[in-house]
Amino acid sequence: MKLSFPSTIKALSFPLLGLALAFSACNSSSHKSGTTDSTATTQETVKIGVLHSLSGTMAISEVSLKDAVQMAVDEINAKGGVLGKKIEPVIVDPASDWDLFAEKAKELLLEKKVAAVFGCWTSVSRKSVLPVFEENNGLLFYPVQYEGEECSNNVIATGATPNQQLIPAAEYLMSEKGGGYKKFYLLGTDYVFPRTANKILKAYLLSKGVPKENIIEEYTPFHHQDYQTIVSKVKRFAADGKACVLSTINGDSNVPFYKEFANQGLSAATCPIMAFSVAEDELRSMDTEFLVGHLAAWNYFQSVDLPENKEFVANFKAFCEKKGLPGGNKRVTDDPICWAYTGVYLWAKAAEKAGSFDVAKVRSALAGLAFDSPDGVVKMDAGNHHLAKPVIIGEIKPDGQFDIISKTDSLVTPQPFSPLTSPNKGCDWTSHQGVYTISK
Amino acid sequence: MKTVRITGLFIFCLLFQRPLLRAQTDSTGIYLRYILDGSDSLCGVGISRLVALRPTEAFPLLRAINDMRLYRLNGQPVTPQSDEPTAIDSGKVLLLSLLPPYQLVNDDHGHPATTGSSGLTEVKISRGNRLLLTPVLPLLNLFSTTPQKRILAYSQLQQNQQIDQLPYLQAALAQETDAEALRTGKDIYYSLQLQHAQHAATARAYIDSIVMNWSDNAATMLRTYAHNGTLGKDLNAYTAQQAVALETRYDRLQKIQNFFSGLSLGSILILIALGLSIVYGLAGIINMAHGEFLMIGAYTTYVVQCIFGNIFHSHSDWAFFISLPVSFVVAGLLGLLLERLVIRHLYSKPLESLLATWGVSLILIQAARSIFGDLTAVKTPTVLSGGWQILPHLVLPYNRIFIITLTTGVVALTYGMLYRTRLGMQIRAVTQNRQMSACLGIETRRVAAVTFFIGSGLAGIAGCAMTLIGNVVPDMGQTYIVDSFLVVVTGGVGKLAGTIVAGLGIGFLTKLFESFFQAVYGKVFILLFIMLFMQYKPKGLFPDKGRLAED
Amino acid sequence: MKKKDLIYYIIFLLVFAVILPLGHVAGLVSTNTISLWGRYFCFAIAALGIDLIWGYTGILSMCQAFFFCLGSYGIAMHMLLKTTAANGATVPDFMVWNKIETLPLAWIPFQSSGLTLVLCLVVPALFAFLIGYVLFRSRIKGVYMAIITQALALAMWLLFLRNETKLGGTNGLTDFKTLLGFRLADTGTKMALYGLSLAVLCGAYFLCNRMVHSKFGKVLLAIRDSESRISYAAYNVNDYKLAVFVVAALLAAVAGMLYVPQTGIITPGRMDVKASVEMVMWVALGGRGNLKGAVIGALLVNYLYSICTSLFPDSWLYILGFFFVITVLFFDKGLVGVVDMAWQKWTAYKLRRAAIS
Repeated sequence: MKLSFPSTIKALSFPLLGLALAFSACNSSSHKSGTTDSTATTQETVKIGVLHSLSGTMAISEVSLKDAVQMAVDEINAKGGVLGKKIEPVIVDPASDWDLFAEKAKELLLEKKVAAVFGCWTSVSRKSVLPVFEENNGLLFYPVQYEGEECSNNVIATGATPNQQLIPAAEYLMSEKGGGYKKFYLLGTDYVFPRTANKILKAYLLSKGVPKENIIEEYTPFHHQDYQTIVSKVKRFAADGKACVLSTINGDSNVPFYKEFANQGLSAATCPIMAFSVAEDELRSMDTEFLVGHLAAWNYFQSVDLPENKEFVANFKAFCEKKGLPGGNKRVTDDPICWAYTGVYLWAKAAEKAGSFDVAKVRSALAGLAFDSPDGVVKMDAGNHHLAKPVIIGEIKPDGQFDIISKTDSLVTPQPFSPLTSPNKGCDWTSHQGVYTISK
Repeated sequence: MKTVRITGLFIFCLLFQRPLLRAQTDSTGIYLRYILDGSDSLCGVGISRLVALRPTEAFPLLRAINDMRLYRLNGQPVTPQSDEPTAIDSGKVLLLSLLPPYQLVNDDHGHPATTGSSGLTEVKISRGNRLLLTPVLPLLNLFSTTPQKRILAYSQLQQNQQIDQLPYLQAALAQETDAEALRTGKDIYYSLQLQHAQHAATARAYIDSIVMNWSDNAATMLRTYAHNGTLGKDLNAYTAQQAVALETRYDRLQKIQNFFSGLSLGSILILIALGLSIVYGLAGIINMAHGEFLMIGAYTTYVVQCIFGNIFHSHSDWAFFISLPVSFVVAGLLGLLLERLVIRHLYSKPLESLLATWGVSLILIQAARSIFGDLTAVKTPTVLSGGWQILPHLVLPYNRIFIITLTTGVVALTYGMLYRTRLGMQIRAVTQNRQMSACLGIETRRVAAVTFFIGSGLAGIAGCAMTLIGNVVPDMGQTYIVDSFLVVVTGGVGKLAGTIVAGLGIGFLTKLFESFFQAVYGKVFILLFIMLFMQYKPKGLFPDKGRLAED
Repeated sequence: MKKKDLIYYIIFLLVFAVILPLGHVAGLVSTNTISLWGRYFCFAIAALGIDLIWGYTGILSMCQAFFFCLGSYGIAMHMLLKTTAANGATVPDFMVWNKIETLPLAWIPFQSSGLTLVLCLVVPALFAFLIGYVLFRSRIKGVYMAIITQALALAMWLLFLRNETKLGGTNGLTDFKTLLGFRLADTGTKMALYGLSLAVLCGAYFLCNRMVHSKFGKVLLAIRDSESRISYAAYNVNDYKLAVFVVAALLAAVAGMLYVPQTGIITPGRMDVKASVEMVMWVALGGRGNLKGAVIGALLVNYLYSICTSLFPDSWLYILGFFFVITVLFFDKGLVGVVDMAWQKWTAYKLRRAAIS
């Protein structure tokens, strides 16, 4: 029985394979023409895809991004649309199922013929759709901070690269002003972002002369709930003072972690937690009592004191209330929401500038494009398809908002390849063909 | 209490502070203006000068800055009278001036000013500037009203390691009331003395005191001293020996702590599996939606808390305790509804019921998501936050103790219900033989419905308890469902005693493995262990006896 | 009975072997749709295995998705190594980030395509044999079997999620370019994979059909209906169970092997607890104990899943949830059962009409 399986497959497959190949060779020419450039421009509206999970484990985070994209679309449409066309968002639910992300991406690009896609949160979802976008020359706007090490001509990353979030945060903690911490506990959920982030952080800390024994790295699985053991380890680590936690703990593990932290008598004053994955949206209606005084590093906070941000926040609340979304006007904005929203505007502005929705033209119009976002003026990098923006460190307040305690003076240039871990890799699509080797 | 402390601070400051010069008092006013009106850097200058000069009258101001409770009313620095963080929003808290210290302030109309008064603005001091307070923090907080703050102050004193702070410390220790704070404080006191001891005998006495006192970092401290001590080899050897002794004791306590963790994890598992076990035993239903009743219980708790917050405007602990029975009833009623609509048609078709309840669980999760949005959290009652300090290194968190107690109570009640009441007897009868029970005149359908109500209700209670340690998300039930299935199966389906033993066993083993391996591998080992265990007890710990057991 | 089966077969082949490819040639059906159905066929192959073990033998195995993934990961490792070699690197990208410089030992055999094919079948079969041997020996059955296999799937899922297993952690394996020298992005390769999946599905169906109608199949049914009685009749029940468990695992693995090149990614998400339950769902919906039902259920549920998540992104869970509940409640023989019922009514009606006239 066992042996007959492969042989039947082979026996069946070869004639069929040959047949099918012959079969498709004659028709492939008729098919290929329609994929890239035509379509999107032909009707009164221009379609964009929204690829955020609305159910499953990632819905917690991603639903808000869908709302932000929708709001940006509504605003642009109210002002007359792009190039005289109204934007029509095509919303699908990839259901936190990574295979489905790829399937939906294909559907959006090939069947719905969208001009651009706004979506993804987790690294794995981005990796899942990446080949689809590259194969079909689509354009993906990715709004979440990520681990870098990627340089695709089809992904526009509006979220932070490691150097736009991790390094300034570590720098701040080590500085006199930030508390001059000497010991670092790197704690994360076990997946690629924390792993890469901690690798970069560790390299940075070591390069700053922090001894190896003062850095501990630890990972917990997704949805880990029981932090008793780990917090007692942190407690022992922090016993002689000057220790802090750099946390890349993700999603629903945060509440039990902070709760346990407080229960075991650790506080922001003795051992602050600098979080890279905790933003206002997660803190919304979370019991923030245990989190007060702890820190987070992002590129945007709702509390950014700019008139354009005040307007953005008010508009978002009004939008959520008007649409009857859960939370209504109690909704908050945060870093990914801001960049999801900004992404739509960047695309619209680039399309106006290019005078076309064609992917290649929009992409070249995006290079170096500046935009007045809720976070102040931000600027697309000239070559690497990432966004230059300020880095802000915030302290959690009892109302779930952040008190801004440090902000970079200028925009921080994005570096998809961290100089600490990939010292001679660069990314540039304008003057190079993507990834290139930096000569010393 | 509060006033005693505040006056304590003043008398004390007056006693120990260097005699103040008139000029310094004047300069306080200038620096105050810097802090209130100046730019960030000027404010920094003001704070650092005040910290350097340490004028008595500025201490309340500095403490307000540190606590982020500095406000300005008519150009004067003020602070709310109450320490409650939420009290500020209520607008009814009286304001106290900070310079002159702690006097009631009147507003424009001559009434006492409150946090609701117009013209009150928060003065924001950047974190960087607040960190400038570090040198005087201990002095500010040594006399705080909350023990937690005082502990913090003591440990900060230790980092400074300055002998000139000894008198402050002595005075603070003299009026210390909290045991934990006293331990920390004494520890710092001894260590300061030890650092400056001139004779081996004195040092030895202090070492003994440190050992007696046995605070969090006693062992580390002794190790450092054993390494750096200058009072002779003998003493250093003695110190090292004491440090080792402390560490052994510490490890032993850690084992107890682990044991407790296992107990608490076990009780959570029991709480969740209890309902599952009863329902399965009686109705032969694998309820895949059981986890969702847990979720319903958790959301009920959330709703009850919102109702308390919105209608009664109170954030009292009662909301939580009231939600315990409420979530039992709500989850139970929904369970009853499910029984009526779906399960009723599927009795003794375990596999079909598995699929139907899976569908139901999809619907329930999506419903929760549409109604409540994504992430909500329940506020832990203040009674249950923090922990019970039994020994220096043995803290048992109250929320876990509560869950253990709750489980014990629930198990006892369930036992009582099953073995002491008529209903319980009927349930047991139907569990054993449905047809025979029906023949003897038991309304099996009614009994099944009631069982389903109880089973779902128990899950609801478990959900309510889960809000103490985790957050409330639509798919929270799925996290625990496989574990609770395992408990039921290991214990023997439908066996209460089995569920309890298996729950505790799996809880303990998980914690035991976790202390050797990383959490994930611990879990994998548990699963493999259970598989091996089933080799010997394929029907669980307490299998049915007799021929009926064979199909 | 025979005639009805024939109608099923004709309709199936007509739609998938004639209309869809012809539609594609005519430009009416997109390549995307074709490869979508190719993927559904893979699920249908796995569903056949589940029907064998659950529908015919009465053993509810909740770890079929694990076997599915074993096949998938094998082929994925092979494709990834080919891509890596084409890029001139020695180890795949994700290993570079995880500071693994040399290819782990477990990966080395997957450099050869022949060895990969063998391993993709042998490894799941071995796993199934071991698990089956341990579980059946100790006479674990019914719910116990379901829960234990579920726990096993959970344990394996947790392991695959870890980066230490060197299988890509949560992100799994992705970024494949070629399979056996054919470029995956080519329409031709996609069509070929579709054809291959369809052929394997037909072949697997044929073999399973032979199996369940043989003496072996009768013993399986007997085990389902009364295990004790058949064992009193001197049949070694465990051997039969073990054999069918291994066959089911192999079917799942083959399905997994075909699935990856058409999807382009494999992650541990494919083998979590939910994934296995969903697989069982397909069979339940189509009609358990009926091979046609398994195939129809798998195709239909996955098609619905694809359609609903696009058309009703906010409410598709309700639709699927109600669908499951209603099918289980009212049509306990699954969709095939419904059709059968309708068929019987129709023939009865015709007979009556004939009798009257």
